[in-house]
Amino acid sequence: MLPAVLALVAAAPCIYWTQGIESRATLAAAGITRLCVPGDQVETWRTAGFTVTAVSDSEFAGREALPTPGVTARPGVASPTRAPWIVASGWHAMRGPAAKYSYTVPAGKAALALAEAFVYGMDAVLKIDAADVAPAGAMTSFTASLPPLDFPAVADFGVVDDGSAVTGEVMNLLARRNLLFEIEKAPSPRFPLTVVIGSAGYSREEAADPSGFAQKIRSQLTDDRRSLRIYGSEVVIGRLTSDGARARLHLINYGGRDIDGLRVRVRGPYRGGDAYIAGTGKAALEDPVVADGAIEFSLPKMGTYAVVDLK
Amino acid sequence: MHRRAFVRVLAAAAAAAKAARVDLVARGRTPSDGTQIRSDLPPLKIVTRYAPAATPGMPGPFPGRVVTVKSDTCVDTTTNTANDQVVREMMAQGMRALTGASSTAEAWRRFFTPADVVGIKVNCGGYPNCISAYEIVGESVRQLMGLGVPASQIYIYERYQNQMDECNYAAHVPDGVGTVAAERANRNTDNSGYDPATYLEANLFGEEDTRSAMMRLVSQRLTKIINIPNMKDHGATGATGCLKNIAYGSFSNVARTHQRGKSHTYSVVGTLASMEPLRSRTVLQIMDGLRGVWHGGPFARTTKYLFYPKQIMFGTDPVAIDRLLLDIIDNERKAHGAISIWDRSPSSLHIDDGRARDADPNVNIIIREPGHVEYAASLGLGVYDLAKIKVQELTV
Repeated sequence: MLPAVLALVAAAPCIYWTQGIESRATLAAAGITRLCVPGDQVETWRTAGFTVTAVSDSEFAGREALPTPGVTARPGVASPTRAPWIVASGWHAMRGPAAKYSYTVPAGKAALALAEAFVYGMDAVLKIDAADVAPAGAMTSFTASLPPLDFPAVADFGVVDDGSAVTGEVMNLLARRNLLFEIEKAPSPRFPLTVVIGSAGYSREEAADPSGFAQKIRSQLTDDRRSLRIYGSEVVIGRLTSDGARARLHLINYGGRDIDGLRVRVRGPYRGGDAYIAGTGKAALEDPVVADGAIEFSLPKMGTYAVVDLK
Repeated sequence: MHRRAFVRVLAAAAAAAKAARVDLVARGRTPSDGTQIRSDLPPLKIVTRYAPAATPGMPGPFPGRVVTVKSDTCVDTTTNTANDQVVREMMAQGMRALTGASSTAEAWRRFFTPADVVGIKVNCGGYPNCISAYEIVGESVRQLMGLGVPASQIYIYERYQNQMDECNYAAHVPDGVGTVAAERANRNTDNSGYDPATYLEANLFGEEDTRSAMMRLVSQRLTKIINIPNMKDHGATGATGCLKNIAYGSFSNVARTHQRGKSHTYSVVGTLASMEPLRSRTVLQIMDGLRGVWHGGPFARTTKYLFYPKQIMFGTDPVAIDRLLLDIIDNERKAHGAISIWDRSPSSLHIDDGRARDADPNVNIIIREPGHVEYAASLGLGVYDLAKIKVQELTV
């Protein structure tokens, strides 16, 4: 387990709001205090007490659009019930941490998109459905309420990014399987395993099957050496950060259904901690076990997003 | 002994035993119990803090012994309804014959005391046409309460609440008898009903969730279990009987063992059944053969593949009963001109094509593994060799 050199500083994603000031009460009731609005509305919203950033339609359109996060059916590739196909963009943000992103998400997806953008520290602006104001407000309030911690991301191996689509899809599959990697420009001795697609052992032909390729890397790494394991769901992606003594684990549930009793194993010197669950609040870790250089625990029911602080 | 240390001992012992057996097979010899096991099996790691009982419930006090009670009048095949009085008599005679007890109550007392907390593992998968019969479940509850087990210490259980709701056993047993499920439905979202410290770990198809955990009810509440499976065909295991019902019905995340035409049920079914405390606490097997399913199982949404064995089997050895079941299912399939449950030919295999399987009994969607019964015997769960199984047949 090695902390990445560069930490992604958690940034607050911004909701792009084009409705008039008459919607103020709805936003305020939802706890939304920060907005991105067209330039000609900045002053009005600011006067109403909101923290605002000017974003024009053209600027929004110029941002890199990310897909709506969630799960989808892919016959023959993913099992709809047991292990559906996850649409997630965290890997993309890791690849382009300085990029400006946008989401345009349908009703029911705002909270998930906000969580994803927050966890990966994206500079992201989100167009949400008006029906999602309440869950969006709840998510922004939740992320704002988290104890301030900013640790480097943990990685178990490196991936040298050549910028190709093939490497991108490999990173997508690695992230979906909670195989924690750091993107590198060149192989680093910090990791026992570095993936360079196109090199001996990691041919482009193999990488053309990103799922099989990710499995190969998993077997080379071995499950025992993985810093993070998640049991009880195939639709939760974790992002682990640590300073070596403490850790913050972000857990995003892409499945759209609450998960009860998610089991998590984190390698490291941790003896306990607290969970913060969106929609629930602070919660104790359940059935904790510290053994074999790792801590295991279960979470009570979680919806879209949870954070676990370990020490 | 520290829990982790104990877990490691178990895992090491199991690995050593398996390695020795695999070595025997590789050298062309068979293990001393006569069973044949394959050597191409995935590594399975058992994690449990529970030690086995002095006499584990499986195979229990009657290894290799099966009592079969038949009755032509136990079920009306035109209405698919069972005759409660006939079933009750079949149960009484079967239990007395199995135990040698002079009375039915005494027969039940051989297995249970008033202090026990008893689970009844039913099978709801074949709703509406072939589930653990209300009459058998109800009679089991009646006998337990008759010997002093309070209703509050009896739990009818399955994995999925939606299936339990469909079957509604509560309407057929006295108030106070519990009905428990570990998950609301087969959605892979409910884990709190499972014991995170008691599980089988295996990476079978590259799945991320590599654990199958035992129901908390089984590990933390029950002291005894009655297993009431049905006589059913199964697309991944060949037949689903005592072993499959108790194993896959008491652990999470088991559907992962069979997919894309391949089934790891060969070794996983028996291994789960062998895990403590499930193995020690499952003390009685009552195979419900009033009705059966000869194809398309474990489901029975239509009556197309329903048949009527009109019998109930009693025993403590799940392997012996399941060994007989394999032939019952296979013979019924033969009678209909269908391929054998042992068929492994590629021409029969239509991977993941459930519609074709439902329409044609000569279609497999997975290569079935009826050998899981023999494998379970190799784990000490019972007797597989037909020549060594003693069957007592009674007629009501």
